[in-house]
Amino acid sequence: MKEEIHRLNCYVENKPGVLARIVGLISGRGYNIQTLNVGPTEDGTVSRMRIDVLGSARVVQQIILQLRNQVSVIEVTSRRL
Amino acid sequence: MKTKQRTGARALVEALERVGADIVFGYPGGNVVDVFDELSRAPFRFVLGRHEQGCVHMADGYARASGRPAVVVVTSGPGLTNTITGLGAANMDGVPMVLVCGQVPLDQIGTDAFQEADTTGLTRAVSKHNFLVHSADEIPETVAQAFYIATHGKPGPVVIDVPRDCQQALTSAAYPERVFLRAYHPEVSATAAEVARLAKLVNGAKRPVILAGGGVIASGASEDVAAFAHKAGIPVATTLMGIGSFDETDPLALGLVGLHGEFAANAAIAEADVLVALGVRFNDRVTGRSPAKFARRAKIVHVDCDPASINKNVTVDLGITADVKELLMTVDSRIRPAAHPDWIASINARRRPRTEGLRPLHRGVIMPQTVVESVYGATDGRAIVVTDVGQHQLWAAKRFRHTCPRHFITSGGMGAMGFGIPAAIGAALAKPAAKVVAFLGDGGAQMTAEELMVASELKLPVTFIVFSNGSLGLVRQMQRHQCGGNYFATDLRSPDFVKLAAAYGVRGVRVADGAKLDAAIARAVRSKSPTLVEVVVDREAEA
Repeated sequence: MKEEIHRLNCYVENKPGVLARIVGLISGRGYNIQTLNVGPTEDGTVSRMRIDVLGSARVVQQIILQLRNQVSVIEVTSRRL
Repeated sequence: MKTKQRTGARALVEALERVGADIVFGYPGGNVVDVFDELSRAPFRFVLGRHEQGCVHMADGYARASGRPAVVVVTSGPGLTNTITGLGAANMDGVPMVLVCGQVPLDQIGTDAFQEADTTGLTRAVSKHNFLVHSADEIPETVAQAFYIATHGKPGPVVIDVPRDCQQALTSAAYPERVFLRAYHPEVSATAAEVARLAKLVNGAKRPVILAGGGVIASGASEDVAAFAHKAGIPVATTLMGIGSFDETDPLALGLVGLHGEFAANAAIAEADVLVALGVRFNDRVTGRSPAKFARRAKIVHVDCDPASINKNVTVDLGITADVKELLMTVDSRIRPAAHPDWIASINARRRPRTEGLRPLHRGVIMPQTVVESVYGATDGRAIVVTDVGQHQLWAAKRFRHTCPRHFITSGGMGAMGFGIPAAIGAALAKPAAKVVAFLGDGGAQMTAEELMVASELKLPVTFIVFSNGSLGLVRQMQRHQCGGNYFATDLRSPDFVKLAAAYGVRGVRVADGAKLDAAIARAVRSKSPTLVEVVVDREAEA
C-alpha cells in the first residue's frame, strides 16, 4: 500500500510521561516519526502534539485507533500531507 | 472531598478495601515497607509469593478464575523489574489487575538511588496504563482510577508507582464517589444499522461459523453465544483464549482453531460464507502468516470491545465495536431460527475421532495425551485446568473437553513459561471449592518451582502434573521439522521432581508405568493437600 506522510493532531493530558507514551506507541510498532511538535494549549491541563508519520492509510488508521485507546489522549485527528 | 488525616500508605490500603480486594499478592521491600505496615492491619488476606514474577502470575490466575481484578504489591527496583513478564502475560490476555509498586522518594527519582528503577518507563509497553504518584493526596483517586481502567473496556493491568515519601506523608484526601477520566471513555455499543447488517448476514448465511475468543469470557457472554449458536444453527470454533466459552461436548462445538487447531474447525472456517468472530483479535496463531487468506470465502463480522482490534490483522466486512453480551442480546430478536443441516453434516464428515492416533503407550512409554484423558476422567471433566506453556499446553487445550468459562487458564498471547505453578495457586485461592489441576512441562516447572512453597504453606489442594520428557518439547518439535533434526539446547536435565516437591512439603509421586497412571492421578486429585505427579512421557510425541 502507498506510503504517505500523515499529520496527526493529538490533544493530550499535560502530564509527565504522556509524550513518552505517545512516542513509544508509535516507535514501538516500528514507525518512524518525521516531525514532532508539542506545546501547551490555552487550557494549561491540555497539550497539543503535532506528529508527522510516514505510513500507509491502513497503518496510520491503526495508530490513530491505538492512540484513542490511551487513557491520556483526549482527541486525535489526522490529514494527509 | 476531605476525610480524616492519615498517611498515604493508610489511604492506599483503605482504597484497596473500598474496591473490594479480598486477597493481595506481593513481596515486601525497603521502599514499600510503609504500605506493608498498613497491609498487616487490613481486613483482606495477604499472600506472600516467593518471587515477584510468581506473585503477578498468581494474581493473574486469581483474576482469570474469578473474573475479579487482582491486586499485587511489590517493592521498587528489582521488585518491579521481576514483574515485567507477569504484567506482559496479563496485558496480552486482557486480565484485570492493579500492581502497586514502591518507589524511591520523589527527590531521589532520577539519581540512580538504591533500588531505583524507571517504573513507568519499564511498564509502559506491558501494561494498559500506569501512574507515578506525586503526593499522598493523589493516592485515593489514583487507586480508584486504576481499578476503573483495569476493569473497563478491554481489561488489563494498571501500575501505580508510589514514592516512599508519598506513602509516609499525611493526607485528608477521600476516596472519590465517582471516577472521572475525561479522556477515557471505553463504553461502546453497536449502532442500529450495524445490528441490522449483522442480522441480515446471519439470516442469509448458508455456511456460517462462529469464532469465539477470550472476549466472550471477559464479557460474561458464554450463555448468549450458546443461545445464538443454537437458534441460528451455527457451529462454534474457539481460539485458545476462548476455550470454555462454548461447551465442547455440544454437537455444534468445533474446538480449537488455528495453527494447532482441529482439522474440522479450520476446514469449516476456510469454507464458511459468513464468519461471526466474537471477542477475538485474530492473532497470527489463529490466522497463519497470511491473514488475507483467512476465511477467504466468508463475509467476516468482527465484534470486539476494542476499536483498535478491528481491521488490525484481518480486514473485515462488518466491524462492530461493542460488548459481545450486549450485542448478542440486542440482535437476538432479529435472528431467524435455522439449522443448516447440510453444512453441519459436511463439517461432521470432516471431524476426526477424538481417539484417532491416541495410543496409551509408545514403546512402553506413556503417551502424554493419555495423561490429560486420565485427569479428565478422574475429575469428571470439572477441574479448573491451568497450564504452563509448550506441548502440554496444547494437549491440555485439545484433549480435555472444556465445558465452562474460566476453567481453562493459560498464557495465550505472551506464552510465558513459568506461568503454570503460580497461576494454579492463584486460581485455587480464588475458587477454594474447585479442583485445580496444573499441567506443566519439565521446563516451565523449573522456572517458577519456588512457588510450590506457597501451595505447601497454604495447604492448597492443587494437583501439579509434570510432563517429564527430558526436553523442551515444543522447541524440539520445531527443530525436528524446521532445522532438520538438529536438536540443540533442548535436551533438558531436570531435578528429581519428587524430591524437589518433598523439599517444599509437597507430596510427590513419579509414574513411568502406564498401568499405574490412572490410580496415581485419581489419588492425587482426591488429595486435600498439594500433590505433584511427575509422569515420564514419550519425548517423540507431537503437539
